[in-house]
Amino acid sequence: MIASSSSACRSKTEEAGRKAQPPTKWRATAQQRVYGRRLLDALRATAGGGARAVKAAADSALALTARGQSRWSRAILLGRRRNRNRRNLLQIKDKIRSDRGRTRPASAPRGTDRLRVLRRLVPGCRKLSAASVLEEAADYVAALEMQVKAMRALADAFSGAARAAATEAQRGA
Amino acid sequence: MEPPRSSGVGIDNSGEYSPEIAETLRFEEEIQSLIHPSSFDGSAAPTGGGSFTALLGLPANQAVELLHDSGAREPLASRIRVGEHPVHRPFHLPLDCSSAFPSNATLVDRAARFSVFAAEGSPASSSGRLKAEPQDSDSPPLDPIPTGPAKRKDTGRSKCDVRLSLSFKSQAKVTAKKSKNAEENTDGDKLPYVHVRARRGQATDNHSLAERARREKINARMKLLQELVPGCSKITGTALVLDEIINHVQTLQRQVEFLSMRLAAVNPRIDFSSLDSYLSAECGPVTVRNGPGGVVVDPSLWPTDATAEATRRLLVPQFWHIDLVPPQLQPQQSLTTWERDGAAHSQLLPNPTTSLFLYDPANSGDTNVPHRTAKLKTAEDRALNL
Repeated sequence: MIASSSSACRSKTEEAGRKAQPPTKWRATAQQRVYGRRLLDALRATAGGGARAVKAAADSALALTARGQSRWSRAILLGRRRNRNRRNLLQIKDKIRSDRGRTRPASAPRGTDRLRVLRRLVPGCRKLSAASVLEEAADYVAALEMQVKAMRALADAFSGAARAAATEAQRGA
Repeated sequence: MEPPRSSGVGIDNSGEYSPEIAETLRFEEEIQSLIHPSSFDGSAAPTGGGSFTALLGLPANQAVELLHDSGAREPLASRIRVGEHPVHRPFHLPLDCSSAFPSNATLVDRAARFSVFAAEGSPASSSGRLKAEPQDSDSPPLDPIPTGPAKRKDTGRSKCDVRLSLSFKSQAKVTAKKSKNAEENTDGDKLPYVHVRARRGQATDNHSLAERARREKINARMKLLQELVPGCSKITGTALVLDEIINHVQTLQRQVEFLSMRLAAVNPRIDFSSLDSYLSAECGPVTVRNGPGGVVVDPSLWPTDATAEATRRLLVPQFWHIDLVPPQLQPQQSLTTWERDGAAHSQLLPNPTTSLFLYDPANSGDTNVPHRTAKLKTAEDRALNL
């Protein structure tokens, strides 16, 4: 069910790759498998706590699969571990980590509001420069696509199993 | 001796470059004056002349390259792009001329320091190039270049080599002009050894260079995002592309939420062992708890699951899911299965609405997403308010 788009994605031209570019990194079927497994474990641990818990588990699994290489994944993981009250800690950590190559968080002349919206959408990008936000957004979009694919496959499998079980029960009863 | 005939050519075709004609005329004299004393040097004459040809040839190189490039970007990028051309020489003269033109090193240093490519690495890079100079002589690759085809290139070349002799004060003039010619740096009155990175018609302040670098970085990332988000390659204009990207991110996040609802709905119902058979193809080996006959085990789980709590939890998200997500997959089938269960869901019907509203604010703390509508404006308003 999980479409193996690896062939399609490998035909995509990679840029001069100092790092694995988001589309190829997140579209490999290996990544999907890793994430699927992690998601299953997380779901098992959820024990039917509700949709919110499922979403949290899914996001945490996604962030784990990112191996903490992207800022948003670190933000998700840290946000889950610590309390909400400790968010200032998270911000301090972001500041320390972001001292590498970050220019001043400039409000770009074009699309300032959009940049702000983007900053809010992508977790952990509140104080990044425009370039970093765009970079994180690219990684985040690729990861989200993979997450949607995997979760949809899981949900379909679930409902398929449920239906099969229902028919079995009907027949049995 | 080689007169600066190219500058004569430049005069002929300098229709576009009229403001520079006076300069060219003026500096022709300078060049000639420079050349003539060099001719008096016994040994240095041929080298001087040769270096002058090299000078002419090099500018042609640079001119061609500069004419091709429309404001080449980052140091790496310019190096790469330049690499495409057969000859990439920084705009320098062989040091053989040094004997002919005294105190050249200082001039070169000054030129290097204020060179067009005034980015961080430029002094270092120019000094590096300085070291490379002695190795470069009147190299053969320069020869084909003077036979540049286009007239325009000749004029460019003429402009270039004339510019070489521009005085240092005129650097400001040069940089101020946004002409099509290459921006170069010149040094003093003597013929310079100029290290130039091609930059066409752009200012050479440190600020603008840094800004340009930053802009190029942002544009590169935007391009990457454009490829990622479907349907963005056709859109021109950063604002619309950004809108599309934001829309896409919101859509994806919403999809994740709905899928998590579905999963939560199905979770308590299915034993994970039964799932393994479905997912083994994709997820590889997963630990099977009850063995391959997991499907048979399910009915036994139902009585335990069919508590009021479980059904309520299952049914409520299901209804919410159906209400809000018509395009989602198979809502009807699951609804029928739930109906077949025979739970008293009629009494649960009023609940979904309340639970729905309860769910949203609770979740908004997580991601700030659920309140976003498809319209960007309202989303922006909320974002600005938040």
